[in-house]
Amino acid sequence: MSIADPKLDLREGYTEKYGFHDSDQFVFKSRRGLDREIVAQISDMKGEPAWMRDYRLKALEIFEKKPMPTWGPDLSTIDFQNIYYYVKPTSEEAKSWEDVPADMKRTFDKLGIPEAEQKFLSGVGAQYDSEVVYHKIKEHLEKQGVIFLSCDHALKEHEELFKQYFGTIIPSTDNKFAALNSAVWSGGSFIYVPKGVKVDVPLQAYFRINTKDMGQFERTLIIVDEGAFVHYVEGCTAPTYSSDSLHSAVVEIIVKPGARCRYTTIQNWSNNVYNLVTKRAVAYRDATMEWVDGNLGSKITQKYPSVYMMEPGAHGEILSIAFAGKGQHQDAGGKVIHCAPNTTSKIISKSISKDGGRAGYRGLVKVQKGAVDSRSTVNCDALILDEKSRSDTYPYMEIEEDRVSIGHEATVSKIGDEQLFYLQSRGINKEEAAAMIVSGFIEPIVKELPMEYAVEMNRLIQLQMEGSVG
Amino acid sequence: MTTATATAALDLGAWIADAHARAGRRDEPSWALDQRTAAAGIARTLGFPTRDLELWRRIDFRTLEQAFPSLDPFRKSPATRNLDDLPAALLERLGGESGRIGLVIQRNTEVVLEQTAPELAKQGVIVCSLERALAQHGEHLRERLGALIEPDYDGYSAVGAALRSGGAFVYVPDGVEAAVPIRLFHWLDGVGALAAPRTVIVLGKNARATIVEEQLSDSAEGIALHLGGTEVFLGDDAKLVYGTLQEWGRHVYHYSNQRARIGRGAEVQWIQTILGGRMVKTNSYFDLNGPGAQAFVHGFMFGDGRQQFHLHTLQRHLADHCTSDLLIKGCLKDRARSIYQGLIQVAEGAQRTDAYQANRNLLLSDTARADSIPGLEILANDVRCTHGATIGSVDPEQLYYLMARGLPRTEAQRLIVEGFFAPVIDRIPLEGIRDHLRQVIQRKLG
Repeated sequence: MSIADPKLDLREGYTEKYGFHDSDQFVFKSRRGLDREIVAQISDMKGEPAWMRDYRLKALEIFEKKPMPTWGPDLSTIDFQNIYYYVKPTSEEAKSWEDVPADMKRTFDKLGIPEAEQKFLSGVGAQYDSEVVYHKIKEHLEKQGVIFLSCDHALKEHEELFKQYFGTIIPSTDNKFAALNSAVWSGGSFIYVPKGVKVDVPLQAYFRINTKDMGQFERTLIIVDEGAFVHYVEGCTAPTYSSDSLHSAVVEIIVKPGARCRYTTIQNWSNNVYNLVTKRAVAYRDATMEWVDGNLGSKITQKYPSVYMMEPGAHGEILSIAFAGKGQHQDAGGKVIHCAPNTTSKIISKSISKDGGRAGYRGLVKVQKGAVDSRSTVNCDALILDEKSRSDTYPYMEIEEDRVSIGHEATVSKIGDEQLFYLQSRGINKEEAAAMIVSGFIEPIVKELPMEYAVEMNRLIQLQMEGSVG
Repeated sequence: MTTATATAALDLGAWIADAHARAGRRDEPSWALDQRTAAAGIARTLGFPTRDLELWRRIDFRTLEQAFPSLDPFRKSPATRNLDDLPAALLERLGGESGRIGLVIQRNTEVVLEQTAPELAKQGVIVCSLERALAQHGEHLRERLGALIEPDYDGYSAVGAALRSGGAFVYVPDGVEAAVPIRLFHWLDGVGALAAPRTVIVLGKNARATIVEEQLSDSAEGIALHLGGTEVFLGDDAKLVYGTLQEWGRHVYHYSNQRARIGRGAEVQWIQTILGGRMVKTNSYFDLNGPGAQAFVHGFMFGDGRQQFHLHTLQRHLADHCTSDLLIKGCLKDRARSIYQGLIQVAEGAQRTDAYQANRNLLLSDTARADSIPGLEILANDVRCTHGATIGSVDPEQLYYLMARGLPRTEAQRLIVEGFFAPVIDRIPLEGIRDHLRQVIQRKLG
């Protein structure tokens, strides 16, 4: 069977649906490039305490010193001096959609955010370029002490709590892009869920890049206190520009004993965005951390969400799905670090490459000394839909204990002729059959998504598979 | 990084210039001497590998690098008139087979004994030292020696090419099935020797052969270094069974590159065992070069004490309809450490590839450490590529089962470990070697 000669772009419809852009919207835009002056300027404009300003400047030095990664996708085309590091869209963060400037509100309307907020979310944050322009949480949660703010507001309103955790999970020395984020971070979400509080419906943040040559560096910090639960969902899109944008976020999560946190990402950046993100969670006794990571968009994505299991009984789970179409390189994956006895983890990765795209899994399972009776399983499956495309799997396993059970399995294949034949012989045309098989392939992960996202994901795949079977 | 350079007091550049000046005086064809000179230049440029190279991040050769000035790349062998002059351990392994097989024995930096059984000579099979082959069969070597192991692969590869010493040459003509097995031995005396043998194996179209290469030495206090290289060329429809048994003493550092280029419809059965040495690094590459080529690779490593093994394999599918099947088993006790780094690459257009890669690790102590890094890079779509890796300890249920039947714990564990290795040992072509390996496992288990 040949699935060559695809007539449709992998992400057909993106330009119309998400690729539009508003005329430039900002009350302040830093000049291009990055230096001490720009970093100081960002801090001053935000009216930050001195320690944060110092932290940023220190991080800038680290960023300048650290070399670019020598492995992974080619990042040599990023021109750090051609980027706007800070674009402030409005002067104030709105508490109601009415207060959001009309153009921006129209953007978020088109993306369906206000509607989603009413229907099935506990709270919404919407970030436009560098700043969060809208933030709202349901009253009953606020009363229970749940904090859901932009990171900037959290620093102002809960400085002590913020300072206690900020940068403790991902220090600015962690990697070059974490250092960059630490220097110029702006926006992102801050969540604190008090002991025993279960946030029954998801909190969501939506990230939008509008300005050309813009860098978005949001920072997210989530603290789930003992026995609490939260599900946080983030989505991202950007206009389709001919020049490249940079998105480099840092996400730190602390899951305290007995708590559970799920973090779902649907990354749908336009094909001109470099998406270089550091995400890490620590899980304490009997806590559970789950990353559900969907990567559909961007030019290059490098993202390996990780879970450090610090105390006995902690559990980490990473479900990763990656689509790479024309001109895309998805270097996705995940890391689980077993630091204590009786910890368990599971990674499931599904990747699909098509139209010359390159999708991959890069992951690490590490069992530290003393983490006896740890168990980990990793399953990576890849589908390659045509002969121009590429799939990579690079799993790392570092095991320093003997009483453990670690397993890894990976398969790369095409759509099975027999499966196709079976469906066709039952009167389903080849295109539909292929789409069904692909849907089945990613089903184990899609079923973990909130309903509306699952529907959207399946719709996207239908769209992508149309006309692709020759 | 900076500390690494600071403690590695040796200037490899000056050292290699000096050593190469002596190596370059050998009586060899000019193209072979030119190869040495080029490699020495590369070694000077590259220096020792730094820890930022992906293949050198997990193993540390710095102790060896500091000891380089004490190593002698020209260590002669004691005079050998006949088999009786060989070390007893080597003779024991040869087990009285000497008259009936093809045989090349290298001691330190030179081949001391070479013999082609009469049956082989009649068939036109060549089994000799590389030195003799350079003098007498240059036409077979000129396009092959160094063709698969790039001298700029890393610093050690370059040093090995510049200071090449010894090695064997095996040539099986088209359509010939070598009548008897061919065995190649490497022996190192005491400490201080640096041997850099290069072996070239050529099987013509539809030729067949079984070759076993064994590396052994006594144990000593100090350091010795083996910088090996093997290049295998399989013509269309040829079939080779190739086994390597590495059983150095605990003072030997081992670095080797093995490459096989497998032609259309040809097949290699490759068995690799890593048991000895202090620090061992081996890179084994299999190029499936013509449609329908097949590689079946089985390896086992068993480390104890403070041994460190690093095995890197590459299954490179360069043509369509090829099959590769790889299974590496590792068992570690005490403070031993193993790193398995494997990759399957499927080139564009290599459709209908069937590639498999498995790495199974058994840890017998809580101070042992195993890293497993299997990888896939797939650039074709009509393929089936799978890999799996597991790391675990002896299954307590299996242990319980055996102990419930009256076996002492150590005996039960021995049985389980033997069973773990059995699928690999069973593939080794010579019965004597299979028995020997079972004994080594017993000894290692203690």
